[in-house]
Amino acid sequence: MQPIDLTAVLKDAPIGEWIALSFARDRIVAHAPTLSAALDEALNLGEKQPIMMKVPPPHAMIL
Amino acid sequence: MKVPFSILPVGSDSAFPLRTELKRPIVALLLAKGDRQFVVFAVVDSGADLCVFPASVATRLGISLPNDRASTFSGSGETTQLAYFEPIQATILPMDAPNIEPDQEPIAFPLYAGFCETLEHFGMGLLGHESFFSRFTVSFNYTQSYFEILEPVILAPALS
Repeated sequence: MQPIDLTAVLKDAPIGEWIALSFARDRIVAHAPTLSAALDEALNLGEKQPIMMKVPPPHAMIL
Repeated sequence: MKVPFSILPVGSDSAFPLRTELKRPIVALLLAKGDRQFVVFAVVDSGADLCVFPASVATRLGISLPNDRASTFSGSGETTQLAYFEPIQATILPMDAPNIEPDQEPIAFPLYAGFCETLEHFGMGLLGHESFFSRFTVSFNYTQSYFEILEPVILAPALS
């Protein structure tokens, strides 16, 4: 199965901000310092089901 | 439900000088509490004992923190972290994409979710054993870039 490649869409994403991705994961619909602000902006732009994530720093590995 | 791994950009360092990306088992998870709901990413993390999310998620769901259901946990360091737990509803949403099996059904389940400030920098939830692996059969196929989440089959008692 082909993985979902988010590298292009996240390449220039603002580190430390919350972003709202389109449900197809192919574009950033909105971004803001807080989850609620980014989500509200995405909904206002007509994105019905944005996916929310906060852009981690470039070395955010997890154990 | 079969879900493809997701590839995320990541920086290189002295240990991994050629690294530019990593592959993680991530689901789109609809979280709901009362009439509030929205979708977040969550990593399916077989090394996590609990299911935890950034505190911002609780705020948007209308959950007041701190509450009276606190639990401590730790990562690789000695510092303990504090999460506040709340029963919510979760639904794993299938993705509509050409390389994914069509017509997969969403998987809904009750989730006892923890919320903590210390996960805020990570920006995604973690689906661990309590409430998630305890409920589903999960298998990973890293080389083929997918993982599978199956609801347990409940066998009816044999009729005699």
